[in-house]
Amino acid sequence: MTDIADRVQTRPPTARRRRDLLPYWLIAPSLVFLAAIIGYPLVVGLQEGFKYHNRLQPWLTRFNGLENYVKAFGDHEVWVALKVSFVMVGGIVVFSYLLGLLAGVLLDRKFAFRGVYRALILVPWVVPPVVSYISWQWMLNDQSGFIDHVLLQLGIIDKPILWLARPTLAMWSLIIVGVWSRFPFMMITVLAALSNVPEELADAASIDGANRWQVFRHITFPLILPVTIVALLLQAIWTFNDFALPFVLTGGGPANKTTPLVLLSYREAFQRFNIGYGTSLAVISMVLMLILGVLYFRLQRKQGVYA
Amino acid sequence: MTNLSVLEPVEVPEPTATPRARRSRDRRSRRHGGPVSRVVSHVFLIVIALFAISPLLWAISSAFKPDQEIMTSLSLIPRHPTLEHFRVVIQETKFPLWFRNSLMVSLGTTSLSIIVGSLGGYAMSRWNFRGRSLFGNSLLLVQTFPAVMLAIPLYLLLTRYHLIDTLWALLVTYLTFALAFSVWMLKGYFDGIPREIEEAALIDGADRLRALWYVIIPMAWPGVVTVAVFSFLLSWNEFFFAYVFIASNKNFTLSLGMYGFIQQFTTQWGNIMAAGVLTTLPVLVFFFLLQRVLTRGLVAGATKG
Repeated sequence: MTDIADRVQTRPPTARRRRDLLPYWLIAPSLVFLAAIIGYPLVVGLQEGFKYHNRLQPWLTRFNGLENYVKAFGDHEVWVALKVSFVMVGGIVVFSYLLGLLAGVLLDRKFAFRGVYRALILVPWVVPPVVSYISWQWMLNDQSGFIDHVLLQLGIIDKPILWLARPTLAMWSLIIVGVWSRFPFMMITVLAALSNVPEELADAASIDGANRWQVFRHITFPLILPVTIVALLLQAIWTFNDFALPFVLTGGGPANKTTPLVLLSYREAFQRFNIGYGTSLAVISMVLMLILGVLYFRLQRKQGVYA
Repeated sequence: MTNLSVLEPVEVPEPTATPRARRSRDRRSRRHGGPVSRVVSHVFLIVIALFAISPLLWAISSAFKPDQEIMTSLSLIPRHPTLEHFRVVIQETKFPLWFRNSLMVSLGTTSLSIIVGSLGGYAMSRWNFRGRSLFGNSLLLVQTFPAVMLAIPLYLLLTRYHLIDTLWALLVTYLTFALAFSVWMLKGYFDGIPREIEEAALIDGADRLRALWYVIIPMAWPGVVTVAVFSFLLSWNEFFFAYVFIASNKNFTLSLGMYGFIQQFTTQWGNIMAAGVLTTLPVLVFFFLLQRVLTRGLVAGATKG
């Protein structure tokens, strides 16, 4: 009797315990890569940020507390780079949101060539960034660029516009190319969000006499706003962290006027060999993005959206 | 945005139509408005689409133009089309080698991210284990880290293990960044597959892994395709880590090779653009073949948990 009772009692728990271990085995490979490629470098990086570490003078490496951060705080270059980062992110995110919204709303209906438009608009998302940035760089070139050529021939301008050589114009070029590369993602998100909007709501409103703009403004847009805000935050983070765009398109110039913080951090660490100082700038970027990240994260959980 | 209000004519609701009778397809087209708004929509979309494809169009056009035509002609269609630039790129540079490198890294990343990602996604979908949300959340947070932050310590780490300047360095890095997407995406797809289906397989004597491989994954194939395309694009297009990790010319990926070309060819745009077209071609073909599955997959996955 006791034998059987024992068996009855012990069997299910052991079975459950064995099953309980399986999910850990399943996530183990992911965990290994996360720990090696993200976790460990993160810990090392945080330490490096508190060190004087120059690759040309490795023997001088030592912990120097908050010195790097104090130095960054008083560094004019850092403030310029921060401003560049924020202007770039703001410009790219706002305009790519608007353009993505427009494209998404226009493509939400069934009509001729809808699939063709959608496919063509997704092209920037697929083309390797280095290829498209080089192509843009040439199109914006003031010696042989397509854009200046056309404007000259049409008589709109009488001498070439120095798109990439003038500080303000270089920033605008950066924003235009950034919008170009990011708005397709916004469009996809808008389309996904629109597909979840119950048609009945808009229908009811339009029967009540609301025009299309009113329906969009008061019904559709408020409904898709939360999901698209999540995507917008993610875009802001990605744009802030984007290295290739300023590096390939403008090289950070003219006179560092298009050098965002991540590019400056790279320069310090890999070109001026100040590993410690460069890392501390990267840590500052990370903390700034972590604030946006937590926001993204909260909204993401609330919406149940992974975009 | 504000344009829309001006452009869309006020729609007079048709009194005869009952809303219930007009289901999915009709309802969308009804709000479409008259012919004017349709024309305006097309004009907008044509302008947006042209903006989207202009750099690629220009690159393709220039790649086929002889050198003197590139500098003088603005025409999109080459007057004397030539394959000379492609010949130079393929025969006189290391382009074919870089192509092979990119292909190996991308295929490696893609297959591993499907395997590792479906294991992780399966665990997330079927078990409520301790640490589950921590795992899922850290995957999401990975996307917000600046690559620069990780690149500096990773560079030091990879140097210590003699992996710097190898394709392995790129493979493990790209895989880790692709995992966030593949785990979550596949979890979303697995959630949509009823447990009864794999339970039937389990009763028939299959173990969990077999059930996952032979029953669940085939049913989640649009998700697998989406993950594959995403991982492939990520590794094929990545520039920053490759630029930091790879030093020797023979280990270049295509992105690095392209960047090197601007230094090497400076103003020989024909050669640069021919290389660009060849670099873009595989992802473009891949993408257009799978476009339908992909947009459906992205839209579905984006709105799932």
